[in-house]
Amino acid sequence: MELLSDQGLRLDGRRPEELRNIRCKLGVFSQADGSAYLEQGNTKVLATVYGPHQPRGQSRNKAPHDQVFVNCQYSMAVFSTGERKRRPRGDRKSQEMSIHLRQALVAAIRTELYPRSQLDIFVEVLQADGGNYCACVNAATLALVDAGVGMREYAVACSASLANGEVALVDVSHLEESSGGSNLTVATLPVSGQVALMEMSQRFHSDHLPKVLERAIEGCKDIHQILDGAVRKHVEETGRASGWGQVDRAGIAL
Amino acid sequence: MLTTKTFLRKTKRGNILKIVREHYLRDDIWCGSSLCKNCSLKEKDKVLDKEVISNVSSVFSFPHYLVLDTNVVLHQIDVLEEDVLENVIILQTVLEEVKHRSSPVYRRLKDIIENPNRKFYIFVNEHHKDTYVERKPGETANDRNDRAIRVATSWYATHLSGSQPKAKNKHVSMVLLTDDADNCQKAKAEGLIASTVYDYVKSLQDAPTLLDKLSKKDGVFEGGSKEPLFPLHLSPKEIQDGLKAGKLHQGTFLASRENFLEGSVNVEGFEKFILVQGHAGLNRAVDGDTVALELLPESDWVAPSDIVLEDSEDDPGDILDEEVKMEKEKAKAKKVEREPTGRVVGIIRRKWRQYCGILLPSQDKNSVRHLFVPAERKIPKIRIETRQAEKLKSQRIIVAIDAWPRTSRYPLGHFVRALGNVGDKDTENEVLLLEHDVPHSKFSDQVLSFLPKLPWIITEEDYAKRVDLRGLTICSVDPVGCTDIDDALHCRELENGNYEVGVHIADVSHFIRPGNALDKEAALRATTVYLVDKRIDMVPELLSSNLCSLRGNVERFAFSCIWEITKNAEIVNTKFHKSVICSKAALTYGEAQAKIDDKNLNDDVAKSLRGLNSLAKILKKRRIENGALVLASPEIRFQVDSETHDPIEVVAKKMLETNSMVEEFMLLANISVAEKIFQEFPDCAMLRRHPQPPPSNFDPLIKAGNLQGFEINVESGKQLAESLDLALKPENPYFNTMLRIMATRCMMQAVYFASGMLQKEEFAHYGLACPIYTHFTSPIRRYADIIVHRLLAACIGADSTYADLLDKRKSHSLCHNLNYRNRMAQYAGRASVNLHTHLFFRNRVQDEQGYVLYVRKNALQVLIPKYGLEGTLYLAPPKGQVAKVNFTYNEEEQSQSYGSIKFRVFDPVTVQLSLDRTNVQHEKLMLLLVKPEIPDFSVPSQAAADEAMDVDQVKDTAAPSQPPSKRQRKSK
Amino acid sequence: MAGVLLSEAEKTFILHGVQSDLRNDGRSRQDYRPIELELDIVTHANGSARVRLANTDVLVGVKTEIDVPKPEKPEEGKVEFFVDCSANATPVFEGKGGEELATEISNFLASSFASSMSFDLKTLCIIKGVQCWKLYVDILILECGGNLFDAVSLAVKAALHNTMVPRVETVAMDGGNVDLQLSGDPYDCWRLDTKNMPCLVTLSKIGEHFIVDSTAEEEECSMASLVFSVTDGGRLNSLCKTSVGSLHPHTLAEALKVGVDVGVRLNKALDQALAREDRRLEADKPERFGFLK
Repeated sequence: MELLSDQGLRLDGRRPEELRNIRCKLGVFSQADGSAYLEQGNTKVLATVYGPHQPRGQSRNKAPHDQVFVNCQYSMAVFSTGERKRRPRGDRKSQEMSIHLRQALVAAIRTELYPRSQLDIFVEVLQADGGNYCACVNAATLALVDAGVGMREYAVACSASLANGEVALVDVSHLEESSGGSNLTVATLPVSGQVALMEMSQRFHSDHLPKVLERAIEGCKDIHQILDGAVRKHVEETGRASGWGQVDRAGIAL
Repeated sequence: MLTTKTFLRKTKRGNILKIVREHYLRDDIWCGSSLCKNCSLKEKDKVLDKEVISNVSSVFSFPHYLVLDTNVVLHQIDVLEEDVLENVIILQTVLEEVKHRSSPVYRRLKDIIENPNRKFYIFVNEHHKDTYVERKPGETANDRNDRAIRVATSWYATHLSGSQPKAKNKHVSMVLLTDDADNCQKAKAEGLIASTVYDYVKSLQDAPTLLDKLSKKDGVFEGGSKEPLFPLHLSPKEIQDGLKAGKLHQGTFLASRENFLEGSVNVEGFEKFILVQGHAGLNRAVDGDTVALELLPESDWVAPSDIVLEDSEDDPGDILDEEVKMEKEKAKAKKVEREPTGRVVGIIRRKWRQYCGILLPSQDKNSVRHLFVPAERKIPKIRIETRQAEKLKSQRIIVAIDAWPRTSRYPLGHFVRALGNVGDKDTENEVLLLEHDVPHSKFSDQVLSFLPKLPWIITEEDYAKRVDLRGLTICSVDPVGCTDIDDALHCRELENGNYEVGVHIADVSHFIRPGNALDKEAALRATTVYLVDKRIDMVPELLSSNLCSLRGNVERFAFSCIWEITKNAEIVNTKFHKSVICSKAALTYGEAQAKIDDKNLNDDVAKSLRGLNSLAKILKKRRIENGALVLASPEIRFQVDSETHDPIEVVAKKMLETNSMVEEFMLLANISVAEKIFQEFPDCAMLRRHPQPPPSNFDPLIKAGNLQGFEINVESGKQLAESLDLALKPENPYFNTMLRIMATRCMMQAVYFASGMLQKEEFAHYGLACPIYTHFTSPIRRYADIIVHRLLAACIGADSTYADLLDKRKSHSLCHNLNYRNRMAQYAGRASVNLHTHLFFRNRVQDEQGYVLYVRKNALQVLIPKYGLEGTLYLAPPKGQVAKVNFTYNEEEQSQSYGSIKFRVFDPVTVQLSLDRTNVQHEKLMLLLVKPEIPDFSVPSQAAADEAMDVDQVKDTAAPSQPPSKRQRKSK
Repeated sequence: MAGVLLSEAEKTFILHGVQSDLRNDGRSRQDYRPIELELDIVTHANGSARVRLANTDVLVGVKTEIDVPKPEKPEEGKVEFFVDCSANATPVFEGKGGEELATEISNFLASSFASSMSFDLKTLCIIKGVQCWKLYVDILILECGGNLFDAVSLAVKAALHNTMVPRVETVAMDGGNVDLQLSGDPYDCWRLDTKNMPCLVTLSKIGEHFIVDSTAEEEECSMASLVFSVTDGGRLNSLCKTSVGSLHPHTLAEALKVGVDVGVRLNKALDQALAREDRRLEADKPERFGFLK
C-alpha cells in the first residue's frame, strides 16, 4: 500500500510532518495521586500514578536505598484492539512495554529525590490505533506532573516511519504501522534533546535512519508543546473554583 | 477537522471485525485553477487554465473544466490518452476507485496526469473539508461515490464563481461526464451540467477520430443480432460459491494456436491442463484470462483435436459455425486419448491488453463495423467500429477489447492507434516490440540528465580510489561489429609458475546510481533487446557504446575479478576490485583465433591469449566432467544489406575455440562472484538458477532416442550429458546435434532470484552443473549484472548499500520483472529472425537439406539447419482438396509411410522453401517435399510450386539466430 | 476501596448519620450519588458505555464474534462477561491482584443475565447449531469509590443497549458448510433488546438500616451487603450476599422489598438517560467527551 499519495497526503489525510489530533486531560481520577488521559488520534490511554510511597510487597527488596523504585505496568483493555485480546496484561508484549516505559520515565524522573520509596505508574490502553507506547509515555508524563513528582523534564515519545522509501512520516497510525515497513519509536527529553529510548520494529537502512529519527524527534518536540500547554491550562483551571458537570452530559437523576 | 471512517470486515478466520480509521479533513487543499483568487496555490500547482480554449464543443460552447466519473476513466482511457481533452479535474474518489479496479488503467491515467500539457489536476476531494461526504445509512458505496463526485463538481462551480466574470462566454463552468444515467440525472437535478461521454465527444471538433476510440462497453453495435450465442456467465458471487464448494475450478485460459475453438485451462492441483472446446465450451474466454471452469463428467471427455482450424477469413455475422467438424473429431477419439475436459462458466479476471494486428474491412463499403485480426493467433478476431477503414486497411493497428456480449460472435473493441503500413519493416519491428512488451521509446530527457557530462575525464580522485591496471596487457574478444564491449581479459605468468588471470567487466554501476531516473529506466527495461537489424539498448548509447564499453586503447573503469590459477587450472585465490584499465586490443573471435594459431607471433597479447586458451580447455573439460550439458540450438545470422537493411544472405554461426575460451572465464567469474555475494548477503544476493526439469519433460527425447536404438538416461545432468555424447550415428552426422536440440527444448527456463526467497538446495544451475551462479559479466546489457555489481562493490567496501538493495522482497519483485523482460526479449529476438526469414524468402525459392524433427499425425516437423528454422511439411491436403497420396501414420514407431518410403524422426529430407504470398496481410513460409520423390506429392527440384500446400512455420519453436552482437555467447 | 482507613469515631459518625437518614454527603438512605453516563466512547467496540458514579468509574466494551453454539443449546448464542480490575483503580489490583473481585463480579453478572426473560440468547443465533454470535462484555474498572456492582451493571446494560450487531446473510453451502456475508453497509446493524435486562442494586446494612449506593467509607462500616439483580418490571433475577457479616431472615425480607423498589427506579432512570444519550448521538457529528469531560 502506498503510504503517501502523490499529492503528499497520507492514508488518513495528514501530511508527513503532521501529528494526529492530540487531546489530553490531567487529573481524571480523584483517588490516585496523579492521573491523566491522553488521546493521540484513535489511540486512547489512561495513566495513573500512586506514590511516592513506602515500598510494598516484593518491591521492598528491589527498592534501592538512594533513589525511588519506579514500578510500571502496561495493560490493554481487552476491547482496545480490532480483534479482542484474550488477556489485558501479563503477555510478553505487555511486559516488554512495561520495561520500556520504565526506561523512558526513569530518565525523566528525579529519582534521587525519593530514596527508599516506590512510585507506581499504571497505564491502561483503552483503544489501540498505533503508537501505543508513545501515547503511554506521554500520558504517564502528564500523570507524573499531576502527581507532583519531581522531573528533570517531560519524557515525550513519538514514532516515525518511512513512506515510499524516502519520506519520513511522523506519528504512525496502526494502518501505517501494519502496512508499511519498519517503524521507529523514540522517547526523548525534548528540551535537552536527549534520547531516552529508541526502538525499531525492523531494520532501517542506515541511509534512512537519520531522517526518520529526526522526524520522530521533531514529533516529540511538537508533542511537548501540546503537553506543556495542557499542563499550564490544567494548573490554571485547578487554581480556580470549578466543579465537574459543566458539560451537559446525560446524568442519571434519581 | 477530523472524522472517522467505520467499516466492517471479515477476517480470514471468519470473524467480523469493526474497523475504525481516522480521516482528517483539511482546509489547505487547493482547487488547482489559475483563475482562482481564494486558494494560495504555488505556481506549479496551477494546472488548470485561466482561459480555457481547449475542449471546443458545439453543445457546451462556453469555457469549461471537465470532471470525470470513475467508469468514464476506466472505459474511455483510450480517449483520454488522446491530446484532445484538456483541463480535466480528476477527483481522488475517482483516482482511488480506478486504482482499486484496474491497475493498468491507473498507470495510464497517471501517465496522463504527469504530462503537464494535458492539464489534468487531481483534487483531493476526500480530504477537503467541504467536499467530503459521509456515507448515509442505506446508501451503497457506489452511490456514495457518485454523490461525492457531484458534491465536488458543485463545490468547484461555487468556489470559482467568485473569482471570475459572470458573462457566460467568459465564465468557466464545470461539465461532469458520466455514463451512469442515474448519476447524470441527479447531477442535472442539482443544477450541474452533465453529459454522457458519447454526447460530449460527438460535439467536439475532433469528433470522428475520437469517436472511433470510444469504448463500446455496454453498447452492442447497432444492428447486431439480439439472439444470445453464448451461455450466460455466472455472477461473481456464484463463481465464488462454486469455487468454495469445489464445484468450479479457477485457472488461466490458454488458447490453442492451431485451433481457434480449442484451448486449455491450467488449474492448480490438476496434473494435466483441462481441455475446453467449442464456442460454448470456451464461452468467450480470451487467452490469458482467469476463468471459472466446470469439469465435465468423464463420459463427455474428448481428445484434443489434431486438426488446424482457423477462423474464417470474412465476417459471417453473429452466427456460429464450424462445430460440426469438431463433433466428428470427438466421435473418432479413442478412449485412451481422452483428456479431462471442461467448460468455461465464468470469467474471473480478464487479461485483455491492447493488440496489434490488421483490419479486415467489411465487404459492405458503407459499413463502419469491421473485423480486426490480431497478430497473435491465440486472440480471437475483434469487431470494431471505425470510419477510417479505407485508410487503416493497409496498416498495422492497435485495438483494445471492451466487452464480449453474449449476442456477439466476436469481442467488441475500439481502434486505438495506427502503427504504419503493413510489410514496412519499421512497422513490423514496432509490432514485434509492442507484442512482446519491450519498452523501446527514446530515453527521456530526465533519464539522459543523469548521464555524465562530456568531455568525461578520469580525475586524480578516481585513480586514487581504484587499482591501476593500465599496465596490464588486457584485451577484449567479441563478435564482429560489437560496440558494447563489457568484458576484457588478461593472463600473465607469475614468478611462482602460476598464472594470474583477470576478467575485467565494464563498471556500469559507477555511472548508474541507484534510484535515479536512469537507474529506474534500466531496471524497467532489464535487458538490451537484440533484433536482427536493431538493438534496443537498456542504457543510453553514450554509456553502452562509449563510456562503459571497454574499447581498445582508451582508459576505462572496470570491475576486475582476478584469480591466481595454477597451470592445472586450480584457483589459488580470488580478488575483486574496482580498477582502471586500458585495453590493448579489441579483437574479434576470428582475430583472436588467428593470433593464437600464428606460431610466429609472440607479443604479449598473443601470449596472454594462449595462456587463457590453455586454461579454458582444462576448465571446460572439468566442467563437462562435472555434468555440464553441451546443448545445441541452430544459430544463424543474417547478412544484412547496409542500405536497405534487408537480409541478403544467411550464414550459420561458426564456433571457434576463442568463443569457448571467453565463455569459460565468464562462467568462472560469475561463479566466483555468486559465491562472494551470497556469503556476504545470504538474504538478498541476486543469483540465477536453472531448475532441473521434471522427468516427464524428457519423454519425447527418450522416445526419439529409443527409436534410434539409443538409451537416454535423464536421471541427472551428468548422465544425460554422457548419454548424449554416446548417441552418435556415423551415417547421419547431424543426428547428435538434433538430439541436443531436442534436449534443449526439454529444459526449464533459467531465472533470477533473491537468495533469501529460496532454500540453498534450490540454487543449483542444472545446465552448468554448478551449485550457485549469477550474472556479473554483462552489465551493459543486463540489469541483473548491475545489481550484482552493486552487491559485490558493497562486499569489498568500494560502494555503499542502499535500502532497496538489501530488501529481499524488493529484490524478489525486481527479479520478477527481469525474468519477464528476458523471456520477452528472447521471444522478440526469435520473432525478429522470423520476420527476416520472411523477408529473405520474399523473392526466393530454394531447395534445402532438412531433417525430420517430429512426426505428427498430418505433418512432419522439419528442421533446416542452414537457416536454423523449423517448418511444418503437411502430409494431408488443405481443406476442400482430395489427397492424391495417403500416408500411413504409425504412432508407436513415430513414422509416416507411403509405399516403400518411410519418414522417421531424424531422417534427412530435401525441401523446397518459398513464401506463400497469396494473402498479403498474412505471409507464410511454405515447405514442399523435394526428396525423397513421391509422385503426385513431391515437387521437382528448384521448380515453382504449382500446388499450394499450406505450410506454416511454427513461430515460437523456430530457432533463435545470432544477432549482430554476442547475446548467444553467454545465454546460459 | 482498599486503603480506606477509618477510626472508630469516624465509623460511629457514619453510623449515626445513617440512623438519622442524613448521610455524610447529605443524602438520605435511598439516594444515589450523581451518575454520569456516556455511550459509544470506545469506537473499536461494537458497543460501549462509561459510567461514573461519583468516584467509581467503569468502562464497558462489547465486542461481537462469530462462534459455534454449544451442542446442548444449538439455538442460542453466547455471552461472556469479563471483568478486569485495572491497577489504575488501586495498586492492589496490580498484576493478578484484582482477579478475585473480578471473578466475583463476572459470575454474578452471568447469573443475573442467565434468564431468557432478561436476555434471549436465541436472538444471537445465526444458523441453528452451526453459527451464532458471541458477545464479549468486557468490563474495565478504572476507579473504585464504592458501590461497584451497581455501577458495573448500569454500564453493562448501557453498553449492551449501545451494541450494534452487524447484519449478516447466510449462504448455505454444500456439505453443510455455511458462509456468512456482510452487506458492506456499515449501518446495516441491529440492536439488542435490553428492555428486560437487570440492574444491580446493592444494599449495605449499617446499624439497623439499609442504605443504597454506599461510598467506600460507608462500605467499611457495613456489616453485610445484599446485591439484587432487578429488572425493569420488578423481577428479581438473582441475589447474593457479600462481605463478612450475617443477616437475620426477616431483615432479608424487608431488604428485598426496598431492593426491588430501588431497582425498578434505577432501571427507569437508566432508560431515560439512555434515551437522552441516544438522541444526542443521533445528531450529526456528536461530540465524544470520554475522559476529557
